[in-house]
Amino acid sequence: MSQSSAILLSLTLNGEPVQVAAPAHWTLLEVLRYKLDLIGSKQGCDKGDCGACTVQIDGLPALACLTLAALADGRSVTTVEALGCGPVVHPLLDAFDRHDAAQCGFCTPGILMAAESLLRRSARPVTRHEAASALAGNLCRCTGYTKILDAVVDASERLRAEHDDGR
Amino acid sequence: MSQEEDSLTKNVRLRLGFADQLREVTVTTPKDEPRPWDADSALTVVGQPTPRVEGSLKASGAAVYTHDVRLPGMLYAAILRSPHACATLEHLDVAAALAQPGVVAAVPLAKVGDRLRFAGHDVAALAARSRDEARAALSAIAVRYRPEPFVVDTLEAMQPGAPQVHAAAVSERRTEGDEPGEASGGAARGNVRLGPSQSKGDHKKGLRQAKVTHSATYTTQVHTHSALETHSLVVRWEDPRRMTVWCSTQGIFSVRDEMAEIFGLKPADVRVITEHLGGGFGAKFGASAPGSRLGYAAGELARRAGAPVSLCLDRREEQLCTGNRPDSIQQVTLGAGADGALTAIHVVAHGSGGIATGAGVGRSAFGVYSRCPNIKVESHDVFTNAGPSTAFRAPGHPQGAFAIELAIDELAQKMGRDPLALRLAHVEHAVRRYQLELGRERFQWAARRAEAEARRARGARIRHGVGVACSIWGDYGRAKAAVVTVSVGRDGAIFVRNGAQDLGTGIRTVLGQVVAEVLGRPLAEVTVLIGDSELGPSVGSGGSQTTSSVAPAARNAAEMVRAQLAELAARLLDRPISELSWGTDGSARAGRRSLPFRELCQKIEGEAVVASATRPKTYGAHPMRYPGGDNYQIAGVQFAAVELDTWTGELRAAEILAIHECGRTHNPLTARSQVQGGVLLGVSYALMEARVIDRRFGQVLNPNLESYKIAGARDLPAIDVVFCEVHTGANSTGAVGIGEPATIPTAASIACAALHAIGRPVRSLPITPDRVLAALAGQDGA
Ligand code: FES
Ligand code: FES
Repeated sequence: MSQSSAILLSLTLNGEPVQVAAPAHWTLLEVLRYKLDLIGSKQGCDKGDCGACTVQIDGLPALACLTLAALADGRSVTTVEALGCGPVVHPLLDAFDRHDAAQCGFCTPGILMAAESLLRRSARPVTRHEAASALAGNLCRCTGYTKILDAVVDASERLRAEHDDGR
Repeated sequence: MSQEEDSLTKNVRLRLGFADQLREVTVTTPKDEPRPWDADSALTVVGQPTPRVEGSLKASGAAVYTHDVRLPGMLYAAILRSPHACATLEHLDVAAALAQPGVVAAVPLAKVGDRLRFAGHDVAALAARSRDEARAALSAIAVRYRPEPFVVDTLEAMQPGAPQVHAAAVSERRTEGDEPGEASGGAARGNVRLGPSQSKGDHKKGLRQAKVTHSATYTTQVHTHSALETHSLVVRWEDPRRMTVWCSTQGIFSVRDEMAEIFGLKPADVRVITEHLGGGFGAKFGASAPGSRLGYAAGELARRAGAPVSLCLDRREEQLCTGNRPDSIQQVTLGAGADGALTAIHVVAHGSGGIATGAGVGRSAFGVYSRCPNIKVESHDVFTNAGPSTAFRAPGHPQGAFAIELAIDELAQKMGRDPLALRLAHVEHAVRRYQLELGRERFQWAARRAEAEARRARGARIRHGVGVACSIWGDYGRAKAAVVTVSVGRDGAIFVRNGAQDLGTGIRTVLGQVVAEVLGRPLAEVTVLIGDSELGPSVGSGGSQTTSSVAPAARNAAEMVRAQLAELAARLLDRPISELSWGTDGSARAGRRSLPFRELCQKIEGEAVVASATRPKTYGAHPMRYPGGDNYQIAGVQFAAVELDTWTGELRAAEILAIHECGRTHNPLTARSQVQGGVLLGVSYALMEARVIDRRFGQVLNPNLESYKIAGARDLPAIDVVFCEVHTGANSTGAVGIGEPATIPTAASIACAALHAIGRPVRSLPITPDRVLAALAGQDGA
């Protein structure tokens, strides 16, 4: 594509301001993976069917492969890389680890971003059913989901307990 | 036994078996093998549920897959594919594509005059600076096809006069994912070729003796692997004779050999790296499937461009060209005497792996109900102009199990017998019998069957059904194939190295556990390095053979390291080595003196104590063989409970009880994950998945993850996993495989439960609402 169709994007990415030039027709996923080398968000289908590319835009889950990068301009984008870099292990990551919720791990980043958004927005621990509904758009070919749901429910209970202790 | 052999072997007494059926057995092992772990071995690390060592890497998005490899100057490849179900290539010129923006290299993948046998067949490839430049330039390739007659429907392809898919004999490409011994190779008649067959007794005589017979046709659909990471490889030439290949593969060494062969290199000069891979399920052996030249494309583009090339298929290509589980049309005939004993089983199966072979139906019909004296199973490959099949988690078995198990239930229904009792009457394998009896109690078989029947009798809208089915698989743990290296450094650092890839089963963790166990050190102190051909020969992850090939080799290497450390400790403590013992913390003890592990390590002369080892062939003490070989037979059973809405025809899997064995379960946490995943794959196969191909145009209509339906989190039944631990005495750790058996009986058990709920069989997979409604309306077979 010719340079002339490039646009300049300004967004907040994992808490940091970022400016990046990219072809105007690129998706957010392409900018993340092929411009910024942020490879945590996966490209499983590139057409909105698998959920492997799930990121958060202003805190809500979004499929990066269906989001034109231009639409993320001026907004806050969070990818899985942000979950892993805190000073303490995020309870969700810890639960995924303990429950063995990732086998090949390819679906995991997208699932974590969908689940984290759910847990953050929920005022009480989530049920298995709520977790399953929130993850209905995320395919996993390896695990059979049981442990993914176990991990999400477990993390949500721990987050609530921490929150209540903090009060 | 010859004297020479005698001097190389020793006899050990082991306690082997399972549950309350343990017995003393004498096992002959090579002289230098450690005493195999048996029922009396008290292990502290192996057998503990252990989170996988790379778990946090995967959860944080930091794990690097082939899709994620980024190298300086790397180009992106795209492939031009034939849009025709069958066509002759009349003209091909890639030169014009080279003038397109960003394009650096282009190569033909087919020659003028070639017959391109399915829609999606490789034609040419090019590499450009970005993915979309590569894709945009494909349209600049000058190409002309002459469409030819084609056939994509399996039944149509079997008719005389159907368009011939292959003009000449098809050479079979075997991978480590195929069951050993499954090669066929009969002569083709039209598009039909006799495949693997098994036979014992005289099935015709058995049928003549029968008082009750059942005969019906069962069909299954084409099932695609749909791994979340598509086939991909990145090639970088280091110099004209050496290359590095990052590949999303379950067979690092098969890719190495394939690339070496394609480019005339020495295998040692091809380095293959698979740090992590996003699923394979059998489709990722070698660089590509039959009819596809991905390895050549990436390597040749990289050579011409003088730059690394990344070739990642898109989802559509993945669904079309990289493999599938063949469909099947199985005619099953059963005969039973007045006493209910089976007198004959006869299965005639046809299936299509598209342009490839591999449509056998496994060993369920032949091997599970082995008390039946007369059995014949004949499988046929039917060629069609469709994408190639490749090995897929227990090739042949889920489709074979579906047909025989549902047929057994139909026979039981005809005879008014309980299907579980009928199975118990014909299963010889002690472990499988135990599993069936265990499941009968745990699943409350009798009570739930009665409840379901009462519901049906009173005309409830929501009906229940309960079914059971068995799996059979062989242990393919391979002798001398994997070389594992264990080292202990002066700083006490423990390393385990092997070139195996982790398919997602957690082999890194199992290797670490085995070595930690032998050396008496915490798992956290063991670093496991895998996923690179430089780390030592290994096996492909297919046939459920990884753990049983690699774990015993790791134990053997660790024992050699421990023996060297023991010698050192004996010297330092100034005691004979016979007085030396090991504490559970890895310290060496003799009399009242002891030497902590770290102190001992500091006294190592040189950098480290290092040993490499492999494993010998299975010792052969197994109680029951897998039919057709000398392999240990792996038993499993699954019970299913379904819920049926008689108004909508929707059938839901509500509960699955999966009872399996994997010899000694090395890591119950990851083994359980394997079974849960296998079960859900089976649920999805039973109720949803089907590749749809248009008969008139020869095009796949759902090469995506949208209209090709895969079970999601909302479709999940409650899955209860039970391991029946078997002390096998088959190798030094007692591992046998689990990956494939876990998915074999699921669809079959659901189909049997559906029969129970509906009262009539649905003899075609997937069991969709239209078929259920037809069965409810009284059509047999739907
Ligand atoms: S890659 Fe975005 S949904 Fe599959
Ligand atoms: S863990 Fe492999 S796709 Fe989910």
